Amino acid sequence: MFAELKFPGIEEMVQWPAAFGEGTPFAFNKVALISLIAMAVPVIWFLVAGGSAKKSLVPRGAQNLAETSIEFIEKQVIGQAIGPDGLPYLPLLISMFLFIFVGNLFGIIPTSHFGANARMANPVLLAVLTWFVFIGVGLKHNGLGYLKASLFPPGVPKALYLLVTPIEFISTFLVRPFSLAVRLFANSLAGHILLVTFSVLTATLWSLSPLVVAAPFSFFMLIAFTGFELLVAFLQAYIFTLLTAVYIGGALHPHH
Amino acid sequence: MLALLSLIASEGGEAKEVVNPVIPDTPELVWGAIAFFLLLILMYAVCLPPIRQAMRRREDQMRNDAESAERARVEAEQVRRDYDATLAEARAEASRIVDAARQAGEARRAEIIRAAEDDVAAERQAALADLDAARTTALDGLRPQVGSIAVAAAGKVVQRDLDVAANQSVVDEHVRSASRG
Repeated sequence: MFAELKFPGIEEMVQWPAAFGEGTPFAFNKVALISLIAMAVPVIWFLVAGGSAKKSLVPRGAQNLAETSIEFIEKQVIGQAIGPDGLPYLPLLISMFLFIFVGNLFGIIPTSHFGANARMANPVLLAVLTWFVFIGVGLKHNGLGYLKASLFPPGVPKALYLLVTPIEFISTFLVRPFSLAVRLFANSLAGHILLVTFSVLTATLWSLSPLVVAAPFSFFMLIAFTGFELLVAFLQAYIFTLLTAVYIGGALHPHH
Repeated sequence: MLALLSLIASEGGEAKEVVNPVIPDTPELVWGAIAFFLLLILMYAVCLPPIRQAMRRREDQMRNDAESAERARVEAEQVRRDYDATLAEARAEASRIVDAARQAGEARRAEIIRAAEDDVAAERQAALADLDAARTTALDGLRPQVGSIAVAAAGKVVQRDLDVAANQSVVDEHVRSASRG
């Protein structure tokens, strides 16, 4: 079956046929299914946790895990990046974190082995949303002073604004969403390509009798990278959410 | 990262259908937006409130329990201080009562002794008075006999009969002076 080492092309790795609606904006493929599951899992989990929370103040099981997630976002994301006045953004940030994390987890779940964020759609969607949110927050809380504080940082000699203002404009309003989207997408896709590479390599080596001795090494690497991808799934969700919080915090307090 | 992107771009270029993974797929974008905004709305309106309320209730209860425990500790400390104060007061009262009883006992003892001494002195005085009276009575009773005996003895000495009545005054004078001496 594996007569020769042949890696699949990128289109084979990232393109999925539609189950229905092919050719329409609602074409439903594997990535769409993972996105819906990444929505449904946190919702069901939190509904179960909420039901349990109404009955008992002592957290157990799903409620314990849900409260741990909430406290993680409150303390490690909002507390670190925004402060107490960032608590109203908890629903957005925890939704973002769980949507990315669960979507990423599908990259290592057997039979799926493809994370939703290894496609550009979800990272771009979330990055653009972040862009609208932090600019909206800045304008809501500071008016046009937010734009002034962002583009003309105080304490800089006026002559330097010729240099600083374009840099600040590009870095704050153009690069941020782009870097957010590309970071998440590229890390997820790179992890997927690594797992595909070692899977194909292991299977091919298994069928090639002289090289079968190298198969355990390749298989070990496949297992190791699967564990690594679990770490990356969490880390990328955390980084994306933390940076979103940092941008919101910067928009709330542009002078700090 | 750039190498990966160039690899992707080159492989995409070789495919029959041009695949550029960096360009988001519209249907995936639509389903992603539906899924995420649904998640955001449900989280905001349905999922988070009961859990956060439970967390707040638990925090309130823990704070109340901690405050109650602190109040109970302060009250226990106050009760202990009150108990110590009452105990010290009781000890002082007991000591005061013992001292008062001791002083009253001493006073009573002195009073009894003084009364006894007064009684003894009075009885002694009365006894002495009785003794004087008896002595006087005895002397008064003996005086006529002593006079007649003395006159008779003097008559024997002088070989004459002396008149007792005439010499009684001399004898009485002599007896009086002797009793004084």
